[in-house]
Amino acid sequence: MSLAIELKYTARMLLKKPMFTALTILIVSIGLGLTLYAYSILNNLVFKPMTMNGDTPLVAIEAKYNYNHQYRMQADPFHLLQLDQQLGLFTDVAYYYEGTTIAGGAKSTNSKLQQAKKYNATYTSWNIFEIAGVQPILGRGFAPEDFYDGAESVFVLSYEIWQRDFNSDAKIVGQTVSLDAMPSRVIGVMPEGFSFPQYAQIWQPLGPDYLNPIEATRNSAFGIARLKPDATFAQVEAGVASFNTQIEPELMKDFRWRLSDNGEYLIAKPYKHASIVQYYTIFVALFVVVFLILALACINVSNLLLARVNERLKEVAIRVALGIPRKRLILQMLWESVFICCTGGLFALLFAAYGLEVSNEILNANFTVENKKPFWWDLSLEPSAIVLLIVSVVLMIAITGLLPAIRSLSNDFNAVIRDGTRGALSKKAAKAGRVLVISEILLSCVVLVIATILLVTGYSAGTADYGVDTDKRLTAQVQLSPEKYPVRYDTEFEYQDRINRSDMYYKLKETLEAMPSIEAVSFMSQLPGRGEGTSYFEIEGRAAQVWNENPYSNNELVAHDSWRAIGMEIIQGRAFDYRDREDGALSIMINQTIAKQFFPENDAIGQRVRRVNARGASDDWYTIVGVVSDTFHGSTMRSSSASYNSYHSMDNIGPWRLYVALHYQGNEAAIKQALMDAVNTVDPDLGIYHIQNYDDLINQPMLLVLSVSKIFLLCGVIAAFLAASGIYAMAANSITQRTQEIGIRRALGSPDNDIIRLFMNQAIKQLAIGLAIGVCLSLLLVSTMTNTLVISNTSYVLSLICVPLLITAMVLLATFIPAKKVIKMEPSDALHHD
Amino acid sequence: MKTHSNPVLVELKQLKKVFVADDIETHALNDINLLINQGEYIAITGPSGCGKSTLLSLLGLLDNLSQGHYLLANHDVSNLDRDERAHIRNEKIGFIFQAFNLISDLTVAENVELPLTYRKDISKEQRKTMVADALAKVDMAHRVNHFPSQLSGGQQQRVAVARAIAGNPSIILADEPTGNLDSKNAQAVMNLLDQLHQEGATICMVTHDPRGASRAKRTIEIFDGKIVADHENNQQSAAITV
Repeated sequence: MSLAIELKYTARMLLKKPMFTALTILIVSIGLGLTLYAYSILNNLVFKPMTMNGDTPLVAIEAKYNYNHQYRMQADPFHLLQLDQQLGLFTDVAYYYEGTTIAGGAKSTNSKLQQAKKYNATYTSWNIFEIAGVQPILGRGFAPEDFYDGAESVFVLSYEIWQRDFNSDAKIVGQTVSLDAMPSRVIGVMPEGFSFPQYAQIWQPLGPDYLNPIEATRNSAFGIARLKPDATFAQVEAGVASFNTQIEPELMKDFRWRLSDNGEYLIAKPYKHASIVQYYTIFVALFVVVFLILALACINVSNLLLARVNERLKEVAIRVALGIPRKRLILQMLWESVFICCTGGLFALLFAAYGLEVSNEILNANFTVENKKPFWWDLSLEPSAIVLLIVSVVLMIAITGLLPAIRSLSNDFNAVIRDGTRGALSKKAAKAGRVLVISEILLSCVVLVIATILLVTGYSAGTADYGVDTDKRLTAQVQLSPEKYPVRYDTEFEYQDRINRSDMYYKLKETLEAMPSIEAVSFMSQLPGRGEGTSYFEIEGRAAQVWNENPYSNNELVAHDSWRAIGMEIIQGRAFDYRDREDGALSIMINQTIAKQFFPENDAIGQRVRRVNARGASDDWYTIVGVVSDTFHGSTMRSSSASYNSYHSMDNIGPWRLYVALHYQGNEAAIKQALMDAVNTVDPDLGIYHIQNYDDLINQPMLLVLSVSKIFLLCGVIAAFLAASGIYAMAANSITQRTQEIGIRRALGSPDNDIIRLFMNQAIKQLAIGLAIGVCLSLLLVSTMTNTLVISNTSYVLSLICVPLLITAMVLLATFIPAKKVIKMEPSDALHHD
Repeated sequence: MKTHSNPVLVELKQLKKVFVADDIETHALNDINLLINQGEYIAITGPSGCGKSTLLSLLGLLDNLSQGHYLLANHDVSNLDRDERAHIRNEKIGFIFQAFNLISDLTVAENVELPLTYRKDISKEQRKTMVADALAKVDMAHRVNHFPSQLSGGQQQRVAVARAIAGNPSIILADEPTGNLDSKNAQAVMNLLDQLHQEGATICMVTHDPRGASRAKRTIEIFDGKIVADHENNQQSAAITV
């Protein structure tokens, strides 16, 4: 019976102030919803150990991440095998590397593959499916025999490719398909959604020399290991460290190049972590930010409920005077929190689910072109997220319900009944209020500064001047089949084989440029805006004492007459021509920045440079033949990107894969078709993929960071809303509580402005403390991201000026409005305010 | 001490105060005409809700009158703006409240000093001297650094009296100054008011305690928002002890 009365009373109290109830529920929903959303993202993408169909986590074992070029490094399979045998901590270890395979061609009997298609291929050891615990739905997985020297070429299809390109043909197993111009037999089809280890569309066997090597080789692969049930990741890390020390002398002797610049080699990482090493700190920052927002939400709800209790102190005092048991009073206070937090929790669940659905769509759209979305990046609300929600709701009920209950019970009821007020707030309450306001200021400052920095940096990267014209430019990757265009290394045919490859590109260039809608065509190993990573070079006669004190540049291969298609121009010297095509020709072009900085006398042409690294200097001296306009390779947002660029003629190198950029007139769709037609004309076996306009090409590598930045912005806006509402509620509550004090001051003759100034000064003090701590904390967090991101100066300036200004305006307004409201009361009313 | 022969300090003419709540008008005070000379000691009495505290609020410029005129020291203060009223409250009027109304975050000395800090014509040194004098007058000089919560009710009211007299106001307005005190402390406070009156202060006190009213020299009785009696108290009744 009493429960029914209490619930009825609670409902009446909540309905009495519907705006208050709605606001409190909204704050809970936002705080919990964002927490749930971020937890699901972080759990799916980073923190939840990858187990696939096994019971123990998978571990990635590979060489130290290359921060200079921002890519994962493979290790010698021999060392991976040695490590496995020595540690004895894994049930199984598989090896793989990833690449692209061109499937089909003009002669394909499958009409969908008559225009060759690019597949994300994973070259793997036979046990890859066993380690994942997943078996094909059709046919079989790999067997050791598939890896023997001379074994028939076989491969396994992913479900999606089987559906898309083979019409879900139930008799696909046993059919042959041309892969890189060589026939290969389909032996199996994997289940839907399986693209382990990352984004595989087909699986092919590794070469025989990768498996069971008996000595160190130049081969490289990634390792995936499954932990034994009794093994820990810490044991693996310790074992890897010890193994590195043990093999270092051997590596120093013959395989120095395997070591990173600071001498590190193998590393072990939780599987998901390994795939986002460069962004790990950003995810951690997101986690911190979301935690801070949850804290803000808790503070706000507590504060709102506290304000409510303050309004009801007299009523509570009367209840106590009438003999209500304390337990029942606490329960009555808790019921309101229970209702608010549970309703907020339900809304939070809906918000989070909707947010994840939208995020999935964004992620899918981001990866449409390159099809390289790791398979586990499929966001969903997992059972652990629901558990988190329940735990959070319970904690929130405890925090937001008990605090006000304790506050109301700790009051002097007799005094409250006898004389509602005693002037100012109690010292404890005032101090707690100040601490809460400072916390709100500093938390919102941290979130907003980080969000602004990341967003402005991301926006700057997208709109930065990369030194090229991107308008009406279409880009794509062109790949030759290594089987059809082999290079017979270290033979008399090598040079001609390389020239043959290059000629294929020139043939395509000629065909394209003959089309009326195409102005010019460029071929480069990486187009400006992409690429990144630098290598050191020594200027003849000006060698630095230490190799890494020499200048450095990004190096790209380029076809003749490639500059005009992307709006670059020759500043000095000559373009690449027939002279650079000769066997052994060693010419180089540098960009204007290198020329200005290292050859200020305008004397770059004719100078010679050579590559240097930790292992020594190359014997090949390259002669500078020209200077081209400046470009920027890689996103301006990434620390590995380069503004020093040098170019080599591709002719006598004959790369098997290049980027093509077309400057065209007309519409993009027509040019895409024209490009496909040209490829078909030149060689239908050529792979052409990742077709996109130049702006999308530049933005592609930063899409993840930009997506996370948008989440940060959302967090920032929410934090600002929470902080603004919280600070307003706090100020309003504190000022309302001091109504009588204000009445006294005014009765004693204080002008209105003095009263306003009194509150403003208090707010300014709190602002100064909150902002000082907040700015320092956010800079500390941002500094952890600078390993992988270049934070633009504009973003620092904007965030460190605009965010404090915004918060200052917010706090002063939140103080001014309630102060002004109280000041409007006549002193006689203020003195008798209850 | 002089009374009727002294100049007029307060003159109320046809004063009205109407409260409006939910479109309902409540006439708290109606047709109030009153003269108070400098040095007078007046008690305003009447039953609860008769309008005596409202009258005191209007006298103290804590509220706006609805109609009529209020002259304080021959200056019309009926239609002043908020800051002008605050200025006059600060320099000309001293308040003593039933609930003491000390600010709990401020020490005894700071509470007494508070109204003086709003005055630009008083230096810091002068303020300190005035605070010390006022506290000495109420015998609270030994408690300057205490907070209100560390004082008894009687002590708090003595500090409130010190705050009221520190700036040498033209008139002291006391609203039920003994209402929250026990009889011993109430007597002490009343003795303090007597003493201030002896020294020439003009005091206007609201009370519904006949023993307190009898300490004043003149009593104004209010009923239903109107002055129904205004008479001199005889010395006999004034001599009645509490």
